[in-house]
Amino acid sequence: MRVFTWFDERLELNRFKAKFLVKTFPTHPTFLLGELALYCFVTLVVTGVFLGLLYEPSTTMVSLFGSMVPSAYASVVKIDLLPLGTIIRRIHHWSAMLMIASVLAHLMRIYFTSAYRKPREINWLVGLSLLGTSLLAAFTGYLLPFSQFSVTATSIAFYVTKSVPWIGDWISRLLFAGEFPSEGTVSRFFFMHVMLIPGGLASLIGLHMLVLVKQKHTEPPSNKNRQEAQGGRRLIGIPIWPEQTVISLAFYLFFLSLVTMMATYIPLNPIEKYGPPSPGTPVMRPDWYFLPIYGFLKLIPGDLSFSVLGAKITPETIGGVIFPGFLFLVAALIPFLDRWKEPQHYMVNPLHRPFMTSLGTGAGVFLCMTAAAGYIDLFHLTPAKMTIYVILVTLVAWGIIYTLLERYRRKRGIHVKT
Amino acid sequence: MVEALEGTAGEKTRTSRRRFVLGMLIASGAGALGSLLALLKVLVPEAKAGYVSSIQPGDRLVYAKGPQMGSPLRASSFKVGDAVLAFPFGKSSNPANLVQVIRLEETEFKPPTHLDLTNQGFVAYSAICTHLGCTVSWVQNQQARAASFTECFCHNSIFDPARGAKVLSGPAPIPLAQIGIKVAKEGTLVFTSQFTGPVGPQVS
Repeated sequence: MRVFTWFDERLELNRFKAKFLVKTFPTHPTFLLGELALYCFVTLVVTGVFLGLLYEPSTTMVSLFGSMVPSAYASVVKIDLLPLGTIIRRIHHWSAMLMIASVLAHLMRIYFTSAYRKPREINWLVGLSLLGTSLLAAFTGYLLPFSQFSVTATSIAFYVTKSVPWIGDWISRLLFAGEFPSEGTVSRFFFMHVMLIPGGLASLIGLHMLVLVKQKHTEPPSNKNRQEAQGGRRLIGIPIWPEQTVISLAFYLFFLSLVTMMATYIPLNPIEKYGPPSPGTPVMRPDWYFLPIYGFLKLIPGDLSFSVLGAKITPETIGGVIFPGFLFLVAALIPFLDRWKEPQHYMVNPLHRPFMTSLGTGAGVFLCMTAAAGYIDLFHLTPAKMTIYVILVTLVAWGIIYTLLERYRRKRGIHVKT
Repeated sequence: MVEALEGTAGEKTRTSRRRFVLGMLIASGAGALGSLLALLKVLVPEAKAGYVSSIQPGDRLVYAKGPQMGSPLRASSFKVGDAVLAFPFGKSSNPANLVQVIRLEETEFKPPTHLDLTNQGFVAYSAICTHLGCTVSWVQNQQARAASFTECFCHNSIFDPARGAKVLSGPAPIPLAQIGIKVAKEGTLVFTSQFTGPVGPQVS
């Protein structure tokens, strides 16, 4: 207590507590999804520091157990041989996958409950940038172990970047430090992966939190019926300190134990099995979050090339640039196309918004189907047949969900402006 | 006195001060942009030609991988239907030199295969997929050899080596380039020409 008083006299901790630590936190299980993404980021930074201290960003050939391999590859093999080395590398990789999963789940929660509406459009855009930056972080991490898998995945991405209209050649040389593979690529990717991108993520997370503190959470609709709400108070929930902090901490510890368990028992990115880069490309698929792009690239026929205003549009441009670009653009426009113009502070029941909800689930089905298209070699389907399945299943799923929701809405006599 | 300044001369100096600051800002902004462009130029290495093969007629073929890596390919070790990845001897550091050598029946070849570039059923194509640069593989069907094909496992582009590596399915835009090979006197394989077409991904 004397320590607290000492600091309080100098930093006015009690004022800080009164101002920020009593902030109200509405309770709902889905409000922990964003926090989960944050925990993943923290875990990634901590495990990343460990890995970064041991990793060598270089392709110089060195001797490892008698054979010559790139030193980046050798250093990761050596990390795997350290006590707990493999587990820490797996925790890093699993956390990356879980971070993108929780960002997506968080995004779905915001979308389906209409929490992106005025006044939260800014944070919707910041959130989308966070998703994009997380994907970039994951992608730059692929190359670092410099295994056969790393080089194949990065080479594909290099040619996709090169296919960007007008500036593709220039931008690919900027990002990959020349043609891929060249000596500079690994060190440039390393700097981006451990410095630029995490720095960007941290700043964006800060901005996301700042806007949240200013605008406050949306609330569960049940809060409307509570006594305090009748008295005109909007934010009903638990204070940050100590209640929310304790819940968060417990949740983080649970998450850590889960991720450690997964890292212990489920192998991931076994670079010793992939081996260092060598001629020949075995069947390899990207991590799940890149599967839709990977599958989409398989579906576009090779002869679909044309020129617009001096820009060469190839199948790679369509699958790797236009397709993800279009998804992000549509997502970014959603709050501005929404016809609701009043400030929205309570979660909207997705069952009451047939059009938007079916659109969201339809998009989800479409992404799952394009991800499935990444497996056409296992299904023994031709790209043309799979394309038809993708379109059909998406339209049917969208139609069925829309019809069911619309019937439900009519039956209940609900009229909600969408 | 002070009031007079603020009323008349003050107004004038304030405007000129504002104009001065604005001018400075524009000038420094332009300067910053200029130096930024120079900086970016430093960060972007000069363009190099992508995949340019350095194979010359007469180069001997050696295994590109496996236990025999680096040793010469021998015609006698090939059964009909076999395929391997090979480099020209001493030029394995250039990925554009990687070729896939396949042995088929001589009668199987159909146009647009360059028949003069095949020899005793041996045919060679660039092993770099024309889609996104992965290495292609030989998918051998032991029961029905006509059903064997060359496939890129990255995005499942399928090529027919008996028909000039024509694209049968998938996103590859053009066939794999053929290159001439023949069986030399001592039973090894040598290149007899250069690639018939472009090698590697056909983007930009």
